[in-house]
Amino acid sequence: MAPKHRNVTPAAQQQQPVATSSSNVAAAPVAAAPSSSSGSVSGGSSSSKMGSKQQNSWDQVVVNIANYYSKNTPQRTKLLDAFMAFLVAVGALQFLYCVLAGNYPFNAFLSGFSATVGQFVLTASLRIQTAEANKSDFPSVSPERAFADYVVCSLILHFFCVNFIN
Amino acid sequence: MSANSLQTLANAGKGESTRTLLRVIILFLIAGASISSRLFSVIRFESIIHEFDPWFNFRATKYLVANGFYKFWDWFDDRTWHPLGRVTGGTLYPGLMVTSGAIYHALRALTIPVDIRNICVMLAPAFSGLTAYAAYLLTNEMTPSSSAGLLAAAFMGIAPGYISRSVAGSYDNEAIAIFLLVFTFYLWIKALKQGSMLWGALCALFYGYMVASWGGYAFITCLLPLHAFVLICMGRYSTRLYVAYTTWYALGTLASMQIPFVGFLPVKTSEHMPALGIFGFLQLLAFLDYVRSAIPSRQYQTFLWLFAGGTFGIGLLALVVATSAGVIAPWSGRFYSLWDTGYAKIHIPIIASVSEHQPTAWPAFFFDLNFLIFLFPAGVYLCFQELADEHVFIVVYAVFGSYFAGVMVRLMLTLTPVVCVAAAIAVASVLDTYLKADSPAPEGHQSEEGSDATTKKAAKSTLKSTSKPVVGIYSYLSKGIVVGAFTIYLLMFVRHCTWVTSNAYSSPSVVLASRLADGSQHIIDDYREAYQWLRQNTKEDAKIMSWWDYGYQIGGMADRPTLVDNNTWNNTHIATVGKAMSSREEVSYPIMRQHEVDYVLVVFGGLLGYSGDDINKFLWMVRIAEGIWPDEVKEREFFTPRGEYRVDEGATETMKNSLMYKMSYYNYNTLFPPGQAQDRVRGVRLPDVGPTLNVLDEAFTSENWIIRIYKVKDLDNFGRDHASAAAFDRGIKKKKGTKKRVARQLRIE
Amino acid sequence: MKASAVFSAALSLFTLASAASSAGSDKGTSKIKLPSTFKPPQAFKNVNLVHVVSVEKNYVKENINVLIENIDKAAQDEYYIPFTADQASRLGGVEVKDRNRKEANPPPFSAEVVEYDPTSNTQYLRIKLPAPLKTGGQQTLGITFYLLKAYSPLPASIKQDDAQFLTYTFSAYAPSVYTTTKQKTEVKFPSANIPDYTKIQDFPTKQGSKLTYGPFDEKPAGAYEPITVRFEFTKPVIHVARLERDVEVSHWGGNVAFEERYTLFHRGANLSSLFNRVKWAQAQYYNPNTYALKEMKFPLRVGSTEPYYTDVIGNVSTSRFRSNQREALLEIKPRYPLFGGWKYPFTIGWNSDAKNFVRKLAGGGYVLNVPFLEGPKQPEGVEYEEVQIRVILPEGAENVKFYTSVPSSSITSTEVTAHKTFLDTLGRSALTIKARNLVDDFRDRELVVSYDLPLSATLRKPLIIFSSILAVFVSAWLIGNVELKFTSSAIEKK
Repeated sequence: MAPKHRNVTPAAQQQQPVATSSSNVAAAPVAAAPSSSSGSVSGGSSSSKMGSKQQNSWDQVVVNIANYYSKNTPQRTKLLDAFMAFLVAVGALQFLYCVLAGNYPFNAFLSGFSATVGQFVLTASLRIQTAEANKSDFPSVSPERAFADYVVCSLILHFFCVNFIN
Repeated sequence: MSANSLQTLANAGKGESTRTLLRVIILFLIAGASISSRLFSVIRFESIIHEFDPWFNFRATKYLVANGFYKFWDWFDDRTWHPLGRVTGGTLYPGLMVTSGAIYHALRALTIPVDIRNICVMLAPAFSGLTAYAAYLLTNEMTPSSSAGLLAAAFMGIAPGYISRSVAGSYDNEAIAIFLLVFTFYLWIKALKQGSMLWGALCALFYGYMVASWGGYAFITCLLPLHAFVLICMGRYSTRLYVAYTTWYALGTLASMQIPFVGFLPVKTSEHMPALGIFGFLQLLAFLDYVRSAIPSRQYQTFLWLFAGGTFGIGLLALVVATSAGVIAPWSGRFYSLWDTGYAKIHIPIIASVSEHQPTAWPAFFFDLNFLIFLFPAGVYLCFQELADEHVFIVVYAVFGSYFAGVMVRLMLTLTPVVCVAAAIAVASVLDTYLKADSPAPEGHQSEEGSDATTKKAAKSTLKSTSKPVVGIYSYLSKGIVVGAFTIYLLMFVRHCTWVTSNAYSSPSVVLASRLADGSQHIIDDYREAYQWLRQNTKEDAKIMSWWDYGYQIGGMADRPTLVDNNTWNNTHIATVGKAMSSREEVSYPIMRQHEVDYVLVVFGGLLGYSGDDINKFLWMVRIAEGIWPDEVKEREFFTPRGEYRVDEGATETMKNSLMYKMSYYNYNTLFPPGQAQDRVRGVRLPDVGPTLNVLDEAFTSENWIIRIYKVKDLDNFGRDHASAAAFDRGIKKKKGTKKRVARQLRIE
Repeated sequence: MKASAVFSAALSLFTLASAASSAGSDKGTSKIKLPSTFKPPQAFKNVNLVHVVSVEKNYVKENINVLIENIDKAAQDEYYIPFTADQASRLGGVEVKDRNRKEANPPPFSAEVVEYDPTSNTQYLRIKLPAPLKTGGQQTLGITFYLLKAYSPLPASIKQDDAQFLTYTFSAYAPSVYTTTKQKTEVKFPSANIPDYTKIQDFPTKQGSKLTYGPFDEKPAGAYEPITVRFEFTKPVIHVARLERDVEVSHWGGNVAFEERYTLFHRGANLSSLFNRVKWAQAQYYNPNTYALKEMKFPLRVGSTEPYYTDVIGNVSTSRFRSNQREALLEIKPRYPLFGGWKYPFTIGWNSDAKNFVRKLAGGGYVLNVPFLEGPKQPEGVEYEEVQIRVILPEGAENVKFYTSVPSSSITSTEVTAHKTFLDTLGRSALTIKARNLVDDFRDRELVVSYDLPLSATLRKPLIIFSSILAVFVSAWLIGNVELKFTSSAIEKK
């Protein structure tokens, strides 16, 4: 199969808005420590569609989010968030490479990309299940059980990815 | 004293362990009933693989068992689709073969060497017991009443809609696929209810197994996202949904891509896009959900509309652009024909010609489901009453299952589980209400619950002391009538299912049976007679040309290379065979020589009245050939000017000269006194002079003329064409206009 | 009566057979190699020789009755008969008797095919007399042997309803390495229709279905006069290329299971024009004599039950089994009528009660007595090119010995191996005997196997099943006791 340049896969394309949206959020809290300027920049990018009229409210929204995040999130969850941000970055890099250098072999790209997406999703689920606020949603899943599930599911995910990379 | 003993008896039935024991025993009995109900053909005939498709699966399983898994995965089969061959390892669903191979090796390790043929024949009944259990588990998630689960298991075990594809001997993908379907749904509901990643991962693993087993996995791929979407639209987005769905999607899609036959389809075709779309949508919703808890609601509203709407719109636009640019394949023909039912007949005649792909007739619903079909809407209605997340699933499944079952007969199979579950819910609610012997407590009474007969007696003694007489649904008369009516319905259901199984779905179609004058069974074994003759008396790689229906059987039983078979992956090759069958000998012979055909096999039912023969299928051959060569093969030429399809004297010239007609009726008239040759299927009298064949020699005809095998003649030694060679052999007496009269010239010396 | 006769025969002859068949893998061959310059010594003279060649059946049965005289100075006990290499490969069922002695159990003659040079065209059959013949002594020998694959059809291709003719070439003078003073060759035919036969001098004389060549005067050693006869044989020429016969003995089930797998060929004339079903179906109305094989009859031992008839693609339903107290007859029809050059492999099998075949000896062992061959009984005879008999004894059987009354020159190898099947741990002892070139005249020969079965072997299987299921239960209980929880249930309840 000849390598196809500029072949943007639909999966990647579909993932991209999601990835960028979550990268918006994830980038914001990670960058919360240094400054909120990056957050405002990303917030600004989404607000650029709307024009500068609502700039103030947008800034306020983002700042509110950032404040809420840094105040109310326990350390463990921040760790998870850092991992998720890393995964997003890796996924974006892989996708960029695919766009620039062609997607041959396709299964290697898919396998690597799915590993990041899958791990991200699993970590997000773990985050949801261990958040105090959601305890009522999961009567039968204790946080310890959630972590055990996370480990098992990650093992399965990576087993498939390794098999698929070929 | 009597009250005490009755009390203890009643209490005995209330214990948890008693109930569990009862449930286990009942489930085993249901499994036993479902297995034994599928054994009719094994008892009547023998343990043999049925029909056509299972023969290929059997051959693939034998190859797997003989050569190991790695060789099987890389198998290139050069004995099919001559001269193209087929990359079998990459174009089949390996789940069924691997399951049989695993069971074979497991039994061998336990020193019980069971022949692989017996394993393959009995695999479907064994898995049907498991399917009944899976239906039990699924229904248990829907209602707390345990009787609903048991009823669903019983219905699933003997419903003819499922039996049709899982009798002993029907070694086809659906044998294990339906079990995996129901079990995957059960795991999905469990994952959804608990919001647990582990159950989601289990669901994904079984979904992967299902993808390995059957092409109908697309049903799950579309149904689960649809369920999630309906829940979201109902405003029931919850973190449990997020956890369950995303885990399932991530792991399940990865698992499904491991199968070579599926490959990259999950990211490249339209059938899988809904799942991907919902996946992205759920990420969005999770993010929004998180944000909502962080900022005041008014800001949230604006944020929501702008951000979320924008993202969703961009995503949808990207999808549409990608589909129209061709990066994502549009709906493939097989699935597209489910929406546009007239599509296949015009564009893909092969799909339209399969009898299982025809639209369902109304009686088929009752035939396959009996009284479940009118309890099914009642059960769905009861789901509406409760309407928790899992009930929404039943509703969505019911709606879409009904649509698809109405479009294609084959998809009755996917409707059967939800019908069994819903009907079980309905029947259980009726019986639970009417079998309880107690009445609502009037002043000062204790109401007892528990099993019926014993408590009825206990209740009787207390009943006398009530002041008001019981009326309505609490009176014994009404209870008796309703329970009695349902018992009769259930008994009639069992009787119907057994009758349908025994008469309609237990025929091996390789072996036919009829009754002799003295009532004993006479077996018509023509297929196997001809295949055995082919296998023993032709050279090892003699190529056989026949219509694609018999390709798998020839490969499985006669063990000879074929030109086309039931896989139908190459339409042009099949059209070539169709053209060879429907053209004159002079046109067919070069085609047969080009493909190195040694023998040609046709099925002819005229002597016996066997209506599944090739002359009846002939028009499909013509249509398929016409699809590729509309100039050379025209369907209209096979019909008389009045528009009839005739095989007797009134047949058209094209029909009489076609190879198929000649092969079917060659020498047939010599079997009868002159002028009385009769074709018992078409019910017509054939002309006195039979057709003559120049390029073929009759090699073998089976006892009842069902299979006729012809040998392709080699090139003539003198370089003549076969027509003149044969005319020469027959003597100049039979002038058939082969001599051309040249204008006489005066010789001048 | 049967048991005691069997027993005595077994006892008296075990010494002969056990040396070749004790539990090991002794592969006795029926060929003995001699030095390459071998030429049999002219120690005997054939005084009077009658050579009877019978072509009544599918195979050729030759009978040489000869009165020999020792013309050597010393006592001799080895008599040689020559064969070509091709004949030697098709030679089977050699038996030598002295018909003049009327003892109940005459001491046997040992007859083996010996070769001295694999590239030479002549191989010898060496007959060892039980006692050396003194100089000038005379001895009568009755030598019987069979030649398989003997005929060739002429014409080689005929139509479906034609009569079939076969040809056979042999020598008018019996092949011998000694001088023959007087000899005569008689040829017996299945019918009187003998269109062609070679005439030499003023022989042969034809009487009905018998041709007589001779009597001839003194002929030297190695004299050879080829005779070709062509006769009508409108019957199937059945040739079983390979027969695998399994006899499985089960003590717990009290059952002996037989299974036979045949690879059947028809060695007659091929079809000149391809098979015409119409003519065939019409011909069946008046059931003519045809050379196609339509059905085969298997007379089984009385008491045989549950026969089955299958082939590689499934059960064949065209069979009939008649069983009563006097007979058990299985009639089978092949799926298609077998014409010349066609092949048809199939499998038949049946069960029988163990007490019909197995007896317990007073000393503790068991004796199994089964027929060596139990194939089809056809008027035209059946020939077997390769036969493999496998007697599968219960698990743990030891000290396996066998005896058979089939001539040992036909037995090529014997061995005892382990055969693993249902629920076996060690494997059952299987005695495999390979023989070649037998004919259905040997249907009534028996195979006697003796073995010991200690009590521990009898109880092994039930004990193993019991203990393994017990192990499953115990492990299930153990696994059920493992707690897979993060917190104990007491804490969870809070």
